[in-house]
Amino acid sequence: MTRVVEVPAHFDDRSFDQFAAGFDTWPTEERVLLDARATQWASPYGLVGLLTAGQALSEARKERPLLTVPASDEVRRYWTRTGFFAHAAELFEVHGKVPRAAATGPSDVLLDVTPIRASEDIHEIVGKIQENAARILTGELGIEAKATMGFAMALSEACQNIVEHAGTSGWVAVQAYTFRRRLGRRVVVIAVSDAGVGFRRSLESTQARRFGDRWGDGSALEAALIQNVSRFRDPGRGQGLAGIKRYLSRWQGKISIRSGTARLAIVPAWDDDVPLVDHLPYFPGAQVQVTIPAQNAEP
Amino acid sequence: MVQTISLHHVLQEAVATPYRNLVTRATGIAVRGRIEATLATGGGHTALLDFSGVDCLDMSCADEIVAKLLLAAASGDRVLVLTGVREEQREALEHVLAHHHLAVAACFRGSDAPDVLGWISGDAREAFADLRRRGSTDVLGLAARMTWPVQRAAVALDDLAGHRIAQPIAGVYHVVTVS
Repeated sequence: MTRVVEVPAHFDDRSFDQFAAGFDTWPTEERVLLDARATQWASPYGLVGLLTAGQALSEARKERPLLTVPASDEVRRYWTRTGFFAHAAELFEVHGKVPRAAATGPSDVLLDVTPIRASEDIHEIVGKIQENAARILTGELGIEAKATMGFAMALSEACQNIVEHAGTSGWVAVQAYTFRRRLGRRVVVIAVSDAGVGFRRSLESTQARRFGDRWGDGSALEAALIQNVSRFRDPGRGQGLAGIKRYLSRWQGKISIRSGTARLAIVPAWDDDVPLVDHLPYFPGAQVQVTIPAQNAEP
Repeated sequence: MVQTISLHHVLQEAVATPYRNLVTRATGIAVRGRIEATLATGGGHTALLDFSGVDCLDMSCADEIVAKLLLAAASGDRVLVLTGVREEQREALEHVLAHHHLAVAACFRGSDAPDVLGWISGDAREAFADLRRRGSTDVLGLAARMTWPVQRAAVALDDLAGHRIAQPIAGVYHVVTVS
């Protein structure tokens, strides 16, 4: 038997729950086919989420999942350009025509889909991002030049959650695009995802008793993102997410974290997202999205 | 004696790559370990951490290097001063220092005059700026110059001395020197 999981036509953080619901249970007993034929667009969050699904199934020693590529030639080319297919080939049995990677000049992709396995990968990522980030943040988003380093800092801290807490590797991608549906202006989005233990298991030994009956995926996210709690006893820990929040507050940015069955967001005025959503379809690990909007126009 | 430590050089030794970014907690731990080893053999009273050549500094690295070195220095008599700091690095430093209720004197690139970063009262900041601008003085001198009550001046100078940003010598407070 094969379980077919449809990849939403417009695949981003909002439609991710629909994607997660397609698995029913984790790890699913049947072989999984991720069907992206009808997908017209995927955000960085969607792309790293797809790879996370493949990684989670691989780590659960399940049969190699299948992936059918988007029918749209344009979408396939774009996914190739982000580096998605190069990593997908290691995790999935890919069905469909995958374009060859073409030589690229400046693009909206600030950082290709990139694996995060160790601290050294984060050095590589931060080194790569700085030149592109300056071009996009100051040139397109109207953010002052000195904020570029803050962006690299936020990216570094978001990626470190994987190395420090996930217990496995993960993925990151950074892209600029026009956020028409909710904002009507350009944004830069950092998406980080892993197939690891998730926030609840990471914090359970130190926080579960404090929350009592309330303990769960939602309260674990609350402890980490709102209260800056870390599983480590070192009082210097837990500042990474706090630093990201501080940076985002200056630029009306948004951070959203999904882990297990919950999602928690710090929601800026331009967005209509719900701060905390519980009882979502389960998905392994943690998925973080950081969104920074253009500063040069009113929403 | 002032002992200067180039963070850029230590970083390159610690991670064996040409990167100029002080990022990740693991990197911070490795860099701090090398700094502690250097300080242990150097014997200087004042350690100058030179950020020249460093680009990005994240919270985790700032915490592992600057905050933890300051916390360790608090139990001895060593004075720590930052130099060559980029304006863009201020945020990470301020954040971690405030988190630990620490403060440090820092010279930013393009400026010879030290500034104060971290968890310190507004009065102490003003007192530091006055000592820097008008020179060393005692409690009565600062109170007169700032037109503050003596107690207020005493508390501000005590705050600076507690963070080792100013040193009292025979009742006269001197801003830490970096040369």
